[in-house]
Amino acid sequence: MATNNYFGFTHGGTQYSATATGAAYHAVAAPATAAAAATYGTQRPAGYDTAYQAAASQGTYATVGTGATPAYEYGYGQTAAAGYTGGYDQTAAAAAAKPATYATTYTQRTGQQQAQAATAAAKPAQYTGTYQANATGYQATYAQPAVQTTIAAQPTTQAKQANSTTTYSGYDAALYSAATMYVAQQSGGAGQQKTGGWQSYKKGGLGAKNMRAKAPPKPQQLHYCDVCKISCAGPQTYREHLEGQKHKKREAATKMAASVAVTSQNRAGNSLRCQLCDVTCTGNDAYAAHIRGAKHQKVVLLHTKLGKPIPPQEPEVIGGARKSVSSSPKINFVQSGGLGIPTGNGDTVKEEEEETPEPDIQPVGQEYIEEIKSDDGKVISFNCKLCECHFNDPNAKEMHMKGRRHRLQYKKKVNPDLVVDVKPSLRQRKIQEEKLRQAALREEFWARRHYNMPEDEEGIYWEDRRRYEEEYMEMARRGNMGPYLRGRPFPGGAPPYFQGGLPRRTESSDDRHAMARHSEIYPKEEELQAIQRIVSHTERALKNVSDQLAESKPKEGQTPPAGQGSGKPDPNAANKTDTEKSVDQQKEDGRDNQLFSFQQDRDGNRILKGVMRVGHLAKGLLLRGDTNVELVVLCADKPTLTLLKKVVELLPAALKQVAPEYIYTVTINAAEAGLTVTGDGLTVLVQFTSPIMREQEATNGGLDRDVLSRGKCLQALAALRHTKWFQARALGLHSCVVIIRILRDLCQRVPTWSPLNSWAMELLAEKVISSVPGQVQLSPGDALRRVMEAVASGLLLPGGPGLGDPCEKDSPDAAAALSPQQREDLTCSAQYALRLIAYRQIYKVLGMDPLPAPQKVFRRDRSARKRRRSGGEPEVSESDTGKMVKTEGGEAPAETPVK
Amino acid sequence: KMARGMRGRGMSRGIGGRPPYKVKMFLPRHPFDLALCEMSFPRVKPAPDETVFTQALLKRNADLSPTPAEQTAILNLVTKIQTVLDNLVVAPGNFDACQLDEVRQVGSFKKGTMVAGHNVADIVVILKTLPTREAVEALGNKVKEDLKNLMKNEIVAKGEQLTHTTNERGIEISNAFACVRVMVTTLHHNIRKLDPEIHLDQKIMLSHLAAIRHSRWFEENAHHSSIKVLIRLLRDVRNRFEGFEPLTPWMLDLLAHFAIMHNPSRQALPINVAFRRIFQLLSAGLFLPGSAGITDPCEGVSLRIHTAMTLEQQDICCLTAQTLLRVLAHGGYKHILGLEGNSSIAKEMSVWDGVVVSPLDKAYENPPEKKEGEEEDEDMEAEGDESMETQET
Repeated sequence: MATNNYFGFTHGGTQYSATATGAAYHAVAAPATAAAAATYGTQRPAGYDTAYQAAASQGTYATVGTGATPAYEYGYGQTAAAGYTGGYDQTAAAAAAKPATYATTYTQRTGQQQAQAATAAAKPAQYTGTYQANATGYQATYAQPAVQTTIAAQPTTQAKQANSTTTYSGYDAALYSAATMYVAQQSGGAGQQKTGGWQSYKKGGLGAKNMRAKAPPKPQQLHYCDVCKISCAGPQTYREHLEGQKHKKREAATKMAASVAVTSQNRAGNSLRCQLCDVTCTGNDAYAAHIRGAKHQKVVLLHTKLGKPIPPQEPEVIGGARKSVSSSPKINFVQSGGLGIPTGNGDTVKEEEEETPEPDIQPVGQEYIEEIKSDDGKVISFNCKLCECHFNDPNAKEMHMKGRRHRLQYKKKVNPDLVVDVKPSLRQRKIQEEKLRQAALREEFWARRHYNMPEDEEGIYWEDRRRYEEEYMEMARRGNMGPYLRGRPFPGGAPPYFQGGLPRRTESSDDRHAMARHSEIYPKEEELQAIQRIVSHTERALKNVSDQLAESKPKEGQTPPAGQGSGKPDPNAANKTDTEKSVDQQKEDGRDNQLFSFQQDRDGNRILKGVMRVGHLAKGLLLRGDTNVELVVLCADKPTLTLLKKVVELLPAALKQVAPEYIYTVTINAAEAGLTVTGDGLTVLVQFTSPIMREQEATNGGLDRDVLSRGKCLQALAALRHTKWFQARALGLHSCVVIIRILRDLCQRVPTWSPLNSWAMELLAEKVISSVPGQVQLSPGDALRRVMEAVASGLLLPGGPGLGDPCEKDSPDAAAALSPQQREDLTCSAQYALRLIAYRQIYKVLGMDPLPAPQKVFRRDRSARKRRRSGGEPEVSESDTGKMVKTEGGEAPAETPVK
Repeated sequence: KMARGMRGRGMSRGIGGRPPYKVKMFLPRHPFDLALCEMSFPRVKPAPDETVFTQALLKRNADLSPTPAEQTAILNLVTKIQTVLDNLVVAPGNFDACQLDEVRQVGSFKKGTMVAGHNVADIVVILKTLPTREAVEALGNKVKEDLKNLMKNEIVAKGEQLTHTTNERGIEISNAFACVRVMVTTLHHNIRKLDPEIHLDQKIMLSHLAAIRHSRWFEENAHHSSIKVLIRLLRDVRNRFEGFEPLTPWMLDLLAHFAIMHNPSRQALPINVAFRRIFQLLSAGLFLPGSAGITDPCEGVSLRIHTAMTLEQQDICCLTAQTLLRVLAHGGYKHILGLEGNSSIAKEMSVWDGVVVSPLDKAYENPPEKKEGEEEDEDMEAEGDESMETQET
């Protein structure tokens, strides 16, 4: 390190690797002064020369200089005084080497510098005061130049010389203030930024070096303006130049720069400055380019010609306090950095090390530089695809690849991990500051909040959290949320059957269509009333007949009361106690549909024990236009033809009695094991059966000619059971009855579906709707779809499980009668229907016109979120689509797929 | 009517009153699935004997499984490439066009569901850097070079010369017997930095990341052999029936897993039952609009996998399954498995034992021109969904 250091020194500080020097310096600094002195001694000649030459040139300059060359002089003064530190060793050595004083001065100066920092105004005096210590040596060498420079009115110089030489006359106030400002800055810089100092130290070396570079004085025909770095032909022009706008501007800029310097310290110090031209370059390469450049060459030439000091080609590294230096105009101005030396201690050095600028940057993104070749294959230019820029020069390309902009692009587009120094622009910094400020405010706010109202705070916390989660969800929804993957062990695992408890979904388009169709097929009120009336009349008339029969055969009835009780399906206790009329009325009016018992407490033996509604009537499955309803009369014994005839004979009169104003026709229907009552366009089929018909088959195989058809009787019994089952299972099931009505309609409308008997269809619907996992209630639209899904999935196909009939022994297949082709066709139809439903054409399945979209008001309300409800069929399409639908939907639309 | 309108408004306001959580009113429903409601449908007649069918399934699987020679060929190539890539991860040396973070095998080769004759293995390379085309090109060249070095001592038989190509997914290296696709992607947090001008397509990058998740999921959840057999059979069916084209390998994986494992007992169903169940599920509209379908287990949010298909594709897929289901029910399994006949059964009328099986028509209609302000119903949301499917096989 030491060698490095000294090596650097001998070369005029060309190669100050920051760290090395710093460390070395400190190693040497306090204890090894002698050694240092020795080294300096060896170097002395060079140092001396430079110093001398500097002085000489100064001298020359001074002679030439008109009183108004402030900058240069001023700078010189600085060099001598404030900036002395850096060059001090050399100068001291050159001046006749007083090692002893050296040390003292050294310390003194340290103190003095600090003092300086304290008060800028008081500084000049103090400064000189301290300076006195080594003044002798100094004066010896510098006497002449100093004297000569007095011509120029320079504040610092003056200050110094006021003490040393006293030859001093008026300097103008402006300059003075400028100088003080400058000094203040410097000291400020030194005070607040020791780190920067080290570089200045190096600078000092450079400064010394600069001096050496000075050529021996030439005849001074050239008038050189140091601020503007130009030469003038003669004193006149020179003066004019100095008066001129350009110069003034530049001078002002210089001063400005000096004052601004403090702010710019904050910049990361990796820019380089050409001291000669006062050009700041942003990097090594830029600097190199500048050095090669014509402008720089010209200035060098001029300076050589002038014999002015040419600063080494070492770039001045700008950073921290340096900045102020760089903006000062002086060429061989020795820096405030000198201050760094005295104050230097371990820490500073470290920090200095860190500041060391510009580790060699590796060019990146070679792949993205396109070479553009001319026709003969020569590379004529380059195109950077990342930054979209062109260069003709390979050097420029190299520089670009190391450049900040390119690296940023590379970071952005290729490797996000690439480290690029942040160079916050003023705006960014402001934003940053603003952020910090707000963060602080927020913190304070929360802190206060926390103290004052913890509960409220909590509320807000949750609110915040919720918002956060919402955002998170939103992000997640957009995909690419790698870290948040929640692998589910099962696809669709814990399948999304939305278990109960969820709010019931609103009505969907399918629901609306299903309900609309349902209300179309549901019987009108007057139809229902008419049916109700005829049924009621028939029932009451049958009761009358039963009474008559009971009275005519009292003997038989008395014996087997017990047996009757067991054989009776379900005598309703509540009804039994009621009086005949009221019971009758209540039952007919309500949806009771239970057995209408003819029995009363006292008589246990009637032949006709009761009548019950069965089939669609009892199940509430009547559709508009239905004219046939069924009743079943339970008999105590096997129903015989004789009994039937007897009833047919008695019934008209009974009817007349019950409803004198209506005309009913009673006909015997032995084939159906019953009779029919017609009137008002309606037909009531009354079947006779008895529970005994079942038991008998095993015991008594003998055919009684008189007994009614056994098959029909059994059917009638089954109808009773079906009704019971239906009332128990389907009526309570949400949507089920609606769907069965719709399916009944479908079976009537569509030939493909007609083979599916009503009971099988009811079973199917009930099973499918009730088997929803989670016991979720389905809306009508969903229920219909689910039924279609079930059939579509091959439930009815050969090989399917079949529909177990719960009302029969060993639950046989309720749909066993279907042929394979019928099963196939049903499945096919359901498959098509399912897809129609999925694609919003449920109306085709239902055989209706599409409904218009829901009303506007309704929609606007829900437009904010995704609607389940669609009304998918826009009003627009009503004209054309509607027509098409009418033709297609009119005639069994679901049948289209079948053949 | 008025009252109803009021209620509607009231309800929607009530919902709107909970702003942070948008209550999604669309609750897709799971379609009818016989396997889940066998309680309601007890078998009323003995199940037909299916041993022949099962044997046919197993035979077909054996036919479809790659031969040992094929396995070896592809394994050799995969191993080499994996070695080269692993080296690049560990010691990139002076290769700086991109930085590799991770190399993973994915796809059918990794999962063990490869179908014979389709000897493609997939490897996903996750880059730390962004996947520019140049980087991929450079990676391709590097791999090529390294492979050459690796194989310089081998005697390269005819047909074993490697060909390298680069495409928008990454690199493909193949010889006459096998092909390895090196699919490039980048770290997750880099995804949104992708610029279509410079980088590979973002969706493809995401799909490659997804592929990794998929193969991980598969390892953990779908290791059951029946699932693999079923996947292989399904892949074959998919390849032969046009309507199933839009089903991605990932969908098939999930579907097979679902069909085999998703039942009340959580025990694997027999292959014949599961195979039929696939068609039953699809016929019941598992992959139709409005169905809950299968939720992608590898996406953070609930994403129904079938939404990657267009509505029309969903329709066609469903109707193909519906027709095949009926063919299957009438004993046409040999045609479905490709042991006999051809795929025309999905589109043409066929007669099985006197039963005429007719093909189905599409239910999907091209939507009429949307009026301004006409919103897409959730049923129609599918088209917009981001497709997360992968091309890995």
